[in-house]
Amino acid sequence: MANVITASKLTLAYDGGRKEIIKHASFSVRKGEFVFITGPSGSGKSTLLKSFYGALRPKEGKLTVGGLDMARIGQSKLLELRTHLGIIFQDYKLINEWTVEKNVVLPLIIAGYSTDIQQTQAKKLLRHVKLTEQADRYPLELSGGEQQRVGVARALSKNPFLILADEPTGNLDEYSSNVIWDLMENACDQLGSTVVVVTHRIPTIFNIPYRHFIIENKGIYEVR
Amino acid sequence: MKSVRDHLMFLLPLLAILLGIEFFLVFNRVTQSSEEKLRESYSILVVSEKAMSLKDFRRIDPHIAEAAPIPKERIAKEIARGMKNTPDREILAALPHFYNLHLDRYLSRQSVERIRQKLLAVKGIKKVETFGENHRAKYNLFLFLKIIFWSFVGLMGLVSIFLVVKQMEVWQMAHRERMQIMEIFGAPMLLRSGVLFRMGIVDALLATVITAGIFALLRYYYAPISGIEILMDRQALLFELKDVAILGGIALFIVISAVLTVAVKSRGPRE
Repeated sequence: MANVITASKLTLAYDGGRKEIIKHASFSVRKGEFVFITGPSGSGKSTLLKSFYGALRPKEGKLTVGGLDMARIGQSKLLELRTHLGIIFQDYKLINEWTVEKNVVLPLIIAGYSTDIQQTQAKKLLRHVKLTEQADRYPLELSGGEQQRVGVARALSKNPFLILADEPTGNLDEYSSNVIWDLMENACDQLGSTVVVVTHRIPTIFNIPYRHFIIENKGIYEVR
Repeated sequence: MKSVRDHLMFLLPLLAILLGIEFFLVFNRVTQSSEEKLRESYSILVVSEKAMSLKDFRRIDPHIAEAAPIPKERIAKEIARGMKNTPDREILAALPHFYNLHLDRYLSRQSVERIRQKLLAVKGIKKVETFGENHRAKYNLFLFLKIIFWSFVGLMGLVSIFLVVKQMEVWQMAHRERMQIMEIFGAPMLLRSGVLFRMGIVDALLATVITAGIFALLRYYYAPISGIEILMDRQALLFELKDVAILGGIALFIVISAVLTVAVKSRGPRE
């Protein structure tokens, strides 16, 4: 099976390369896999995820995402790559001035889809995340769990080949967390998307096979 | 309400800049037309032993734009009236050539004096007289007003640009998060800044229409009934159609520069 992400002797650093977070890490993620990356706070989980969507360039080594070299990728190619990714954040990153429906179809707006397609897809996704009634409300009128469901719906709206999630349940109670995990399992299992989740704790009940990497002492190791 | 305030905060300084520019255009046209009138009434009389062409005069000084020979016949007749035994023909032959010179623009006293000296240095030129000194005070007043006005417009422009920059910072604060989220999902800069572009272009058009409207009203409605001589004489200079294009172009340039600056500053970090 083809690799969606490949890292070879990857080093990631901040402060103009002075502060190394990940050092000489090699790993790969195959198409359709569900991957958890865990590690203690400050170990570099979010940093690693940022490098997958190009917010951080590798300092050394090689990182390819969807076949593109993330060290050399140009701005326009990077923006194009991002339109094929679904990204979920712990703090949701919803546009508060936009309605729930408009937030959900943001990737379709960027891709230039017609209003009809946007509306049809928004209805389908909001039904999927059980937020049909909230379509015309604004993010700040929703609970944390509901906002994160909007975030998941947005991530799924363009059938991305890769979903990246940064502590998606970090701010949620157990019930809301389980809803989010269900949705992400479905995305991998039914849509065939590759899912990479950065989290400090893997859910106790998880119904599909997954791989588990741990970040320790700047290295990345597979534990399952 | 917030949206109206957002518009006004950008529209007002933009309006101040455009009003300053339009005042500048009008003032420039008025002074140019006055200079032209002064230039026309200013002449240099040259008495030369040899016949000279405009080309000859321009070789002496390029500011000389016209060289009109003064017909000698009348002068010969006037002289002949007092000299019974000398025929006109002989007087005519003995008379030098007279030329009335006009300059390409209104020059300072020093420049005119320089031209006079250059002319006098030419072999064959016997006399050079300059006229028009009575316009000097008027011209100096114009120059003084021009400098005062330019300083005022410059200062107003600086203050307005400062206000535009401040408003851009407000825009940046208000829109940065949305623009960064859109960038994460792959939106190109034009799409990310779409709202700002729309807002800015509307303000640019509004400011252009308001400024042009004020000066059009001044030209067509106020100037004819103002009773102010300088306005009544120069109505047509108060507003020209091409001003709309100049104002619109400048307003759009300011808006596009402002929005692009905000858009670039709002880009998410890529370390």
